[in-house]
Amino acid sequence: MASYFSPQYLALLLPATVGLYAITPHRARRVILLLASYVFFWAVSGSLIVYLLFSTLSIHHLGLWLELTARNGKEKLALAESDQRKAIRAGIQRQQRGIILLAVVIHIGLLLTLKYSHFFLSNGNALLRFLHMPAILPVPSFLLPIGISFYTLQAVSYLIDVYRGKIPADHNLFRLALFLGFFPQMMEGPICRYEQTAQRLWEAPPMCWNNFLLGGQRILWGIIKKMVVADRLNIFILNVFSDYDQYNGSIIAVAAICYTIQLYMDFSGTIDVALGSAQLFGVALPENFQRPFFSRTISEFWQRWHITLGTWFKDYIFYPVSMSKPMKKLTSKARKRFGPRYGPILTSSVALLCVWLCNGLWHGSAWNYIFFGLYHFALIFAGNLVQPLVLTVTERLHINRNHIAYRLMQTLRTCILVCIGELFFRAEGLKNGLKMAWRMVTDWSFTPILKGNLFAYGIDGPDTVLVVLFLVLLLVVGILQERGVKLGEALVSKSWPVRIAVYYAATCFLVIFGAYGIGYIPVDPIYAGF
Amino acid sequence: MVKIAKTLLGLAAFAMGLLVILYGLSFLFVPKNNTKDAGMEEIYANGIQGEPPNSIDVVVVGDSESYSSISPLHIWKTTGYTSYVCGSGRQYLSYSKTLLERAFETQSPKLVILETLCIYRQIPAKTVVMDEVSRYLPILRYHDRWKVMTREDFSPTDGNSYTTPYKGYRHNNKVSGADTSNYMAQTEKIASIPLVNRLLVKQIQELCEANGAKLLLLSTPSTVNWNYQRHNGIQELADELDLEYIDLNTKPQEVPIDWSTDTYDRGDHLNYSGSRKVSQFLAKYLEGTQMFSDRRGDSKYASWNTLLQDYEAKVEKAS
Repeated sequence: MASYFSPQYLALLLPATVGLYAITPHRARRVILLLASYVFFWAVSGSLIVYLLFSTLSIHHLGLWLELTARNGKEKLALAESDQRKAIRAGIQRQQRGIILLAVVIHIGLLLTLKYSHFFLSNGNALLRFLHMPAILPVPSFLLPIGISFYTLQAVSYLIDVYRGKIPADHNLFRLALFLGFFPQMMEGPICRYEQTAQRLWEAPPMCWNNFLLGGQRILWGIIKKMVVADRLNIFILNVFSDYDQYNGSIIAVAAICYTIQLYMDFSGTIDVALGSAQLFGVALPENFQRPFFSRTISEFWQRWHITLGTWFKDYIFYPVSMSKPMKKLTSKARKRFGPRYGPILTSSVALLCVWLCNGLWHGSAWNYIFFGLYHFALIFAGNLVQPLVLTVTERLHINRNHIAYRLMQTLRTCILVCIGELFFRAEGLKNGLKMAWRMVTDWSFTPILKGNLFAYGIDGPDTVLVVLFLVLLLVVGILQERGVKLGEALVSKSWPVRIAVYYAATCFLVIFGAYGIGYIPVDPIYAGF
Repeated sequence: MVKIAKTLLGLAAFAMGLLVILYGLSFLFVPKNNTKDAGMEEIYANGIQGEPPNSIDVVVVGDSESYSSISPLHIWKTTGYTSYVCGSGRQYLSYSKTLLERAFETQSPKLVILETLCIYRQIPAKTVVMDEVSRYLPILRYHDRWKVMTREDFSPTDGNSYTTPYKGYRHNNKVSGADTSNYMAQTEKIASIPLVNRLLVKQIQELCEANGAKLLLLSTPSTVNWNYQRHNGIQELADELDLEYIDLNTKPQEVPIDWSTDTYDRGDHLNYSGSRKVSQFLAKYLEGTQMFSDRRGDSKYASWNTLLQDYEAKVEKAS
């Protein structure tokens, strides 16, 4: 089983799980979900399932330990004299921080070892060579279990939330196992919080026709996005990015735009399948996308793209760093030095830098991902810095910032900046990314596009028309969604002949216009590789 | 329980309706003849559909090893037997089966030769499923024809018109010698055959039997792709299914391949010189079976003689 788009998943695992779930009594349903989750994990990653099992056991134990420490502390506090309480509280906090540190070392350490040891040690060797030191660090190579970057963040968030007292430690190992390993979220997220899904999963609500239809619709929509658009663009993108020095700057720019479209269709399509699959069982996973290309700033873009990762970084990196004692001191100093407007911006940029370094690294162990993170940091930081100036200038020039033309200009600017970032994200190494960007600046000509040369590189005229028409459809859907129209629910509320006609039309559309079979290369979901 | 049964019934009815629609649409999307312009895939392999009905004695299926090793016109020249190579690059066994099914629609070969390299080719699960389903719903195979469809696609099939001049053989006369240091080193080890492929060979055997044809497993010479472990694996499969198996890699006396001159890509495939030796061996083998009659004097097959003249003029002259 390669992904949610494989026949094994769509024709075997998912229907079998739905069928069993529907006919089994209430208490057995949660067992069905857990078993299906482990079957899925096993089918994709085989024996590497031990990593997931280890993480589950580990967070269960560490969560209970945190709780026990807090309970013991409370008992001590109740018996203690008032002058001893401060010292006891500090002792409890120290102990709990120790447990959290251990959890981070175990979970993030495991992720770092499996995913990043190759990168760090290879760079270490490059440094040793540069310094002419006659030593070579052994570079190990590990197999990565599916979804480790996603479930590790869930595991860490659970423990930190227990430590913060947001949620109680879960005594039920199986509930925790289901929260961590629920199969629809395993491949590409969304990264769920314990309070969002654990209880609902454990309740294992009975199948409901409405949820079944909504889930099925969403799965179909996700498959269409991935197979009709994302996979169709793949050959062209592959050709240009793997052999970029053969192409003019304008072709590279088109490839960067196409890759941005591909990534969005691929990732959001996979998330649609994940959310739809969960909805079949009555479980609402958190949304991961909210029409990101409608954003007016890069900052807003990241509030609409991969939302669950962004909020994870905000809650577990940005706030802890910016609320730490040294940062508070630095903020107050900066406030005095640079004033109340720029002082906090400058100091919060330290936390922001941490977030974007982590964001870049999370995506992969390569310099182009780190550059990608820093690029977005620079854009957001610069945006924060110049925002007061922009406000002043627009006010003085009497420019209406809410005018449609101004908003469109902002959206277009954001889209262009995102596409440039994705060029580095997709490039085969940072050096190649820089060369491609340089080529866009130094070797630009519209002639290859106007002459139709584009169609010789893996995408033809009908493909282009289809992609453009689908993007127009997506734009209309997006505008309706921005206005609060719930298209899925609207369709479910229609009479059954209308619904069935739409389902048949959508399925035939997928069958006819899907990029599969002869002439296409099957594409695994892109984010599953992160 | 009644509710579940009702739901299942509703879903089954929905699925049936969908299948009927896709089946109907398939008539629109299926190529109306076997030419490239009409949207046919692998036109060399599918060129057999353009041959006159019941005119082919031997059908060969397999990957690039088949179409670079076996020359039907050479066999014709030597024996007067007609053959066609339904070969395609990196052919999966599931597609070999499809090609054979298509061939049996118009031809009644007495012998089918399956080149064995594709028996070792792992078939992605998706491909197996797609090949099986598209047998009944061809729209899944030809859906991409929406780009080239014309008014003619709304009319019935206009008959297959394309066939390859060399009957599926692909000529290459370049020379790039092979390293034979580890070639066919004897061993008792057996290279295992994927389970799906074993089942597909069994299905191909049943298909041949149902159409009155004998199935022969043939390993053509290749230093890159063949070894004794694979030989043992195919031998074991042949014994299990009671099939005849000929491994030309073990017959250097009968098929004296000179690996310094008879391959165009360092032992991966044979060139024209190598294919002559394999075809000569096959011609003798076919004569030995006494299953076929010489058709060189039959006016119905006059086109083969014309093609042979062209073949000799172009191919043999070029080599």
